Amino acid sequence: MKRGPGGLYATPAIVWLTVFFIAPLFIIVLYSFLRPGLRGGVEWSLTFDAYRAIANPTFAKVTLNTIVVALGATLVTLLIALPCGYYMARSKNQTLLLLLVIIPFWTNFLIRIYAWIAILGNEGFLNDMLQALGLTNDSIRFLYNRWAVALVLVYTYLPYAILPLFSTIDKFDFSLLEAARDLGASKFGAIRRVLMPNIKGGVLTAFLFTFIPIFGAYAVPLLVGGTESYMLGNLIADELTKSRNWPLASAISLVITLVTTIGVMLLVRANGANVLGGGKEASEAKAEQSAPLLNASLVALPHSGGGAS
Amino acid sequence: MKRRSSFSRAVFIGTIVFLFMPLFVLVLYSFNESKSGSWTGFSLRWYIKLFSDSPDLWRAFGNSAIIALGSALVATVIGTLGAIGVNWYRFRLRSYLRTVTFLPMILPEIIIGVSLLIFFSGLGFKLGLFTVFVAHVSFNLPFVFLLVLARLEEFDFSIIEAARDLGANDTQTLMKVIVPMTMPGIVSGFLTAVTLSLEDFVITFFVTGPGATTLPLYVYSAIRFGVSPVINALSVVMILGTIALTWSMRNFLKYIAAK
Amino acid sequence: MIGSDVVIENVSKSFGDFAALNDVSIGIKKGEFFSLLGPSGCGKTTLLRIIAGFEQPESGTVLLDGKDVLPLPPDGRKANTVFQNYALFPHLTVFENVAFSLRLKKQPEAAVRERVNEYLRLVELQTHGSKKPAQLSGGQKQRVAIARALINEPSVLLLDEPLSALDAKLRQHMLIELDAIHDKIGITFIYVTHDQQEALSVSDRIAVMNAGKVLQVGTPQEIYEAPATDFVAKFIGETNLYEGSILSVNGELVTIESAEFGSVQVTDTDPPPSGTRVSWTVRPEKIRIGPDKPSTSRNALNLIQGRVDEPIYSGFQTKFYVKTAGGATLKVIKQHADWSDEGPEIAWKDEVWLSFSAEDAFLVEVKG
Repeated sequence: MKRGPGGLYATPAIVWLTVFFIAPLFIIVLYSFLRPGLRGGVEWSLTFDAYRAIANPTFAKVTLNTIVVALGATLVTLLIALPCGYYMARSKNQTLLLLLVIIPFWTNFLIRIYAWIAILGNEGFLNDMLQALGLTNDSIRFLYNRWAVALVLVYTYLPYAILPLFSTIDKFDFSLLEAARDLGASKFGAIRRVLMPNIKGGVLTAFLFTFIPIFGAYAVPLLVGGTESYMLGNLIADELTKSRNWPLASAISLVITLVTTIGVMLLVRANGANVLGGGKEASEAKAEQSAPLLNASLVALPHSGGGAS
Repeated sequence: MKRRSSFSRAVFIGTIVFLFMPLFVLVLYSFNESKSGSWTGFSLRWYIKLFSDSPDLWRAFGNSAIIALGSALVATVIGTLGAIGVNWYRFRLRSYLRTVTFLPMILPEIIIGVSLLIFFSGLGFKLGLFTVFVAHVSFNLPFVFLLVLARLEEFDFSIIEAARDLGANDTQTLMKVIVPMTMPGIVSGFLTAVTLSLEDFVITFFVTGPGATTLPLYVYSAIRFGVSPVINALSVVMILGTIALTWSMRNFLKYIAAK
Repeated sequence: MIGSDVVIENVSKSFGDFAALNDVSIGIKKGEFFSLLGPSGCGKTTLLRIIAGFEQPESGTVLLDGKDVLPLPPDGRKANTVFQNYALFPHLTVFENVAFSLRLKKQPEAAVRERVNEYLRLVELQTHGSKKPAQLSGGQKQRVAIARALINEPSVLLLDEPLSALDAKLRQHMLIELDAIHDKIGITFIYVTHDQQEALSVSDRIAVMNAGKVLQVGTPQEIYEAPATDFVAKFIGETNLYEGSILSVNGELVTIESAEFGSVQVTDTDPPPSGTRVSWTVRPEKIRIGPDKPSTSRNALNLIQGRVDEPIYSGFQTKFYVKTAGGATLKVIKQHADWSDEGPEIAWKDEVWLSFSAEDAFLVEVKG
């Protein structure tokens, strides 16, 4: 690494991210301590009203619901993703299996939510089938509750958990499992005592990729949830667009920001890695995971000679 | 051998069925005669409506395309330069840039959307295509940055020294050596940015204004205010479009790599 | 092409607290194949990079043909570098890599083609011009790097551990080719390596470095036979190195008293006075080994009795570790020349006699 034109090259990125990413974050910190303006905006007088409002029971209920849904959905996602990643890593057709996981995500996020409405709706596919089979006469209301929200969230973020788990398990030396079996461990004993400790990093990454977006979920609870499945993201949007209480929206955003960053740091630290470095690693992993997820097989299939190397 | 992986195999097959089921339903309903959920017969009427009688949808598609290509281009240029700077040179604010680029990765989208909305409104920006464009560049930039950086890390600084030794100045080193040799990473960053941008709903939802409806926003209002089966047809077209695009890009990249 | 002489005067360079080069001075002659030899971290690469222009020293000067080049950028010096990991541009073909600097200078395409082909012929890669670096073997990459560095017709070629990424056999082969290229074009080669075999086999002269200092500059023979310091003796080849104090001096013949051997006779051109504490060395292949006491009346022959601790057979030679009566272990190498040379076999635990001439043993260093 040398002195040179690096600062010059980096200037546009530094300026852009400072103005359009860091500055807005500071503005919400500032706004959270101000008095709401009449039609949105703020009045320039210091107050802790927004934080007082956060302490009220409605808010606490939504927070609790958000935590329950986010933790539950993340847990289910990981429990599904682990055996999937394991199976893919052990398979000889990794490329094909990767494609199978990725292809459903070639449709737009909202269209995927919409597809679930088409399946679970009162006149949806599932009710249609049930009625056709004569199992029920009236349509059952599957949508607009906490379960629907959790189901669609799991569906949406499953690949974000499968891909990092797959790539970690793929790097695992499976002869270690055989060694454990040789030394008398049962199959699941070997997985629990030998495989799991070695793929901790991948599990952590998968957890973060799943938990963080679910914790800040907005569209899914809005479209398939009901009033009882309201999440923090919806609360922020309501304060912003309906009640026009910008300081409160800022304060809630700040709470989410703090919870996620502190959570990331604690988890990364618990994993024994350097916090900042670990965070970077996780974020680089996310960029690299998202690339195949989003632009599909271009980067997802490096084994098949896609890129120049 | 088969028995040993039977559990994970069963979970995997179940997962694939789960992942594909909504797609299957979309395809099925896109050919459904009736407007309501129940199957009443085969018809292409929604496809015909999609292509001949959905001006708002195509306007939204146009907006999405402009925003996606424009923001990806700007993010790719800025992000690539930033990654080159960070990877090979020492300068003030270097670690600041590294930190700032990984923050957006760990923050939920809604935070970025809300903070940008408050920022734009507070400064009196008129919400519209421009604010959407700015927001998209902001969240695309870190992805491009990290993807290009990952590619750059494969190379040694001695390549830059070799270029200097052979008489290249800073600009020539950048344009004739660094950029071309990082091209696969840059292309992948650009494509990721395009897809992220086409895909984004949450951030766009907050920073958009009148006349700046993107395709995801259009789909959103279609879902909220009465679903039209045109959306089913649109989904199928989008899936096919993505497959075609991915396929051709992949072959294009292979062609570049082999050249 | 003609080479330049390179004069390095009092060059010092440190990275933070670490002194990479400490007041280094070396004179390299025109057209010489000169090696900078030393363990990793000894400063040899830093010195090369200072000559190339990638680093600036804190003090001292570097002169090419008497002209101070320190103010010049890397491309302003008539020196080009062959990098350790080749540093080939991965996106360019072999031809384009070699043509890189000519095209930067906007030379006419026909001239570029002619020159590039000429240099590809020099490194015997004329048929590989359209390949990408990734399609080449290690040795071929190395030759592209050499052609690319030579096409500017530098008067000095700087080679930074150019063979370290190759396997042992290929390294031998490339070494011979490098030597051939040097003979053909006749410019000055400055060759950085940590491998003493490489340095000994191709260099006209070698500078042995350690901890930022030049310990000895000399021909391979001088460095091998008469190391100037204990470090050089140990670093170059295998040796036996012991200490003692001088008992008497008779011209160039020095008798040393040591605990392990009693008295030993060695040679030195300018010996210090009696009583000085010194180290001395004898190479393992200079010691003869046999079951019986050699019958000779030469008085400059050292005779030592011992017992074979460990014989290591390796085909063309056998190495013996022999424990002497005084408790020292001497390394002895016996070459297997032909059947007539074999004699009685020497085995583990055999009592043996060792002998070496005072002319093959050298005084190395005066101990403080």
